[in-house]
This record gives sequence, C-alpha cells and structure tokens, in this order.
Amino acid sequence: MLGAATKRTPTEAEEGKGKMTDSRAATATSTEPVAAAGRPAKTIEARGVNLFYGDFHAVEEVTMTIEPNKVTALIGSSGCGKTTFLRSLNRMHELTPSARVEGHVALDGEDIYGAAVDPVAVRRLIGMVFQQPNPFPTMSIYDNVAAGLNLNARKVSKAQKDGVVERSLRGAHLWDEVKDRLDKPGGSLSGGQQQRLCIARAIAVEPEVLLMDEPCSALDPVATLAIEDLIAELKSRYTIVIVTHNMQQAARASDVTAFFNIEGTGKPGHLVEVGATEEIFTKPQKQETEDYVSGRFG
Amino acid sequence: MPEVARAEYLEELANLEASALGGLDLVNGALTRTMEAVEHQDVELAQLVVADDDRIDGRYLEVHQALITLLATQSPVATDLRLISSLLHVLKNVERMGDQCVNVCKVIPISGNEPPADEEMVQLILTMGRQTKALIVQAKRAFEERDVEMAQDLVRQDDVVDSLNRDCFRLALELGDDIDKREWAMTMLLAARALERTADNAVDIGEQVAFVVTGLFREFEDASHPS
Repeated sequence: MLGAATKRTPTEAEEGKGKMTDSRAATATSTEPVAAAGRPAKTIEARGVNLFYGDFHAVEEVTMTIEPNKVTALIGSSGCGKTTFLRSLNRMHELTPSARVEGHVALDGEDIYGAAVDPVAVRRLIGMVFQQPNPFPTMSIYDNVAAGLNLNARKVSKAQKDGVVERSLRGAHLWDEVKDRLDKPGGSLSGGQQQRLCIARAIAVEPEVLLMDEPCSALDPVATLAIEDLIAELKSRYTIVIVTHNMQQAARASDVTAFFNIEGTGKPGHLVEVGATEEIFTKPQKQETEDYVSGRFG
Repeated sequence: MPEVARAEYLEELANLEASALGGLDLVNGALTRTMEAVEHQDVELAQLVVADDDRIDGRYLEVHQALITLLATQSPVATDLRLISSLLHVLKNVERMGDQCVNVCKVIPISGNEPPADEEMVQLILTMGRQTKALIVQAKRAFEERDVEMAQDLVRQDDVVDSLNRDCFRLALELGDDIDKREWAMTMLLAARALERTADNAVDIGEQVAFVVTGLFREFEDASHPS
C-alpha cells in the first residue's frame, strides 16, 4: 500500500533499518501488573514533513520533536492540518486514498516510513484514540479490550488474556466500573466509559505512543475531566499526542503545545510555534499564536 | 461575525484598566489634600481625607471583582492574562497608597491646631509629597504607554524621596530638647515614612509595567539585597 502511493525522500535511518523494533513484544501479553510508572517512553522526530491529498498540499514542512513521557497538544483552527499531521505519525492517513507524505518521521531514531516497515506494526507501537468513542458495540467489554491481542495473532492463553484485560481496564480507570459485567456489550457503556474502553483497548497491546484525536469532544465535562486525569497518569508510561479544539484542555492537560495555522483557504497548514504549554499560554513568541490563544481570530 | 473577535470582552478589559489606573488619580487627589493639611496643620481637611478613602477602597473592590469575573468567565491567556494579573497588583498598590494618605492625616491632629512646627521640616515633607505625586503620575503614564524605560526611571525618582526621608530623620534629631517639638517631629517622621512607602508603591507599579510587556517579573530594587 505504502510503496506505490508514497513519494518520499529516503533517509539514512530508513536505509539502515528495515523493521520496526518492538522492544516489548515478548512482554506484550504478560500477566504482570501495569508496567511501573515512570518507564521511559519513546521520542518522535518529525523532520520536514509535508502531507498531500492528491494535488492538495495539506501540511507544509513540519519539523518538531515530540518528547517522551510528556503530553503534546496540537492546537489550531479547523483545516490547519493538525489532525492530518497526527494521523501521519502512525501512518493512519494512508487509509485515505491519494494521501501521501514527504519528509521523515522517526520513533526513537527508527524511520516509521522505512521501506520494509509494516504499517500495522507501526500502528501497534503508536496507538490511536478517536474523537467519537468507537468500541465494537456488540462485542463484550472483555473482547473489546482483547481485540488487539486477538488481531495480533499470537497464541495467548486465557489466563494471560484475563491479565491483560484487567491491567488495561485498570490502566484506563474503568476496571472498578465494569469488572462485574465484562460480558456485557461495549455499546452498553456511557460515552465517557466507552472512550476509556477505547483507551484500554489501545493500551492492551502495550504501545509506545498514544495519539488522541479530540478524545473528549463528544463527552460531557465530568467525563472530560476523567479522561484528562487519565492522560496525566498515562504520560508516565507513554508518549502522548493530543489534538484538541479546546484551548483550556490544551492548557490543563498538556506539557508542550504546538500551534498550527493556515494562511488562507486552500493553503497548506503549517506549524507556527511549539513550546512549553506554560509559555504558549502566558507569553507566546509569535503574535499569530498570541492572537489564537487569546481568541482574537476571525 | 464582528470585525474583531471578542470585542465586548476586549472593551471591558480596556475599561477596567482605565478604572484601575484612574485609582491613581484618586490617590493623587488624596495626596494633594494631605499635603495641604500638613502645610496648614488643617485637622478638618485631614479628617476629610480619612473619610474620603472609602472612594479609593470602593474603586479597589469594584475593579477587583470585575477582574475576577473576567478571569472566571473569559479564560484570558497570554498578554490579557498578564495585564489582568498586573491590574490586580496595581489595585492593591492604589489601595495601600490611599491608606498611607490616611496614615499621614491621622497623625496631624495629635499635635493640635497650633503645633510647634519647624518650617524646614514642613518644607521637607511638602517636597516629598510633590516628588511622590510626580512618581504616581509617571507610573500611570508608563503603564498606559507600556513604557518599560519610563517605568525603570521610577527607581531614580524614588531615590530622591528616600534621600528626603533620611533628611527628615537627621533634622528631627537636631530639633533640640523641647518635648512638644520632639513629639511634633515624631509625627512628621511617621508622615515621612508613609510618603516614602507611597513612592515605593509607585515603583511596584512600574515593575508591573515591565511584567506586562516582557512576561518576566523582577524587582527593580530589592530592599533585602541592595546593590
């Protein structure tokens, strides 16, 4: 899928390495409790990333480092390319016909667009949570969490699977609410619970990075704050990137904020400024950022 | 869509800045009357200043509450957030300066209607009052114009007030053994101290100007670590 559709510049990292390294593949189905807090997560390096849908240049020359064990928020108005950029970080955008990428994205130095790299392996290491909670509605809560393990087609014993499901649901702050009804359908949960179920499903396969595309936009304030608390806890184990339209959420929940903008309709989105969230919301370097975070746009 | 997004909020913020800085005009009015009361040992005028301090306190309460409401409802960030934070400091200084005028006016009746005043001491106090008023005017202008250089110059102006304050002390020690005169000199030292603090409040406002503009707060002068 990737080879024919993508026009890109080969990089040194790509030439040297053909396969994504999954440092925890052997322990992915461990029955041990959730990995100790504070484990080192991985860094994402984006260098000169350009994204296209056919002839349309959607994102222009994004260069930024996404730091491990931190929450990085991508903010900007609609159409500025932040979601497209997010989806390029785990090759999810390739699911859109005619989408292609130029530039370089590396996970701890390994090019995720390397010629021999399997996009599915990338997506297992870099998990994603979407705007609308999307559990498999008729599948049980248990099977929703175990879905990733089943798809990865490794032989997993029932006991191991039970361990992973419990650890993932605990990790997503959902275990106490669902432990007595694991056989009930995922669709029976509330919106906030469904989103936490999706996070449990994402962390069940022990990813290195969690990408979240407006994970709270469909949730009420109480469920939103529960997810933000969860994000704060998850960052001790994962690198987290979150796209949000809610600037207060970016201010509350992130350590680093990246502001994307477009010059006008039809123009590509670009990264205006990236910095510590505290700086972006108290003293941004660029007037463009100041205008956006202060609500002086339009 | 309006031409400027959040026009109403921005107008409200501008109005609150004008009201907070307008508090400095109220202080300057109080200080003018305070100095007149000192010059003429006018107990009635002094009492008027004390009573009138309610207007300054009222301005503090009114603008402070409105700024808190803006914080709660508008989630200001960046320059707006720094401005609101600074205005809260400005208001606190306005309120303190008003209280210092009250402090001066409260010592005037202690020595009665015809105290054994020393003309040289009175002139020193009046000079301090004029200099302090100039600082307040300059602090207001520096804030309005976001002029950091003008704000930093307040330190130089404040040094003049500090020097006059020390002159008052020296003079008080030289006024001799007459007990009434010494008591009067003591009240004037309290007045000088209040004026010296008022000038410091003006410098504090200058520091807020630098914070609004640069995003960095630092004391222009650190009393605990003098250079």
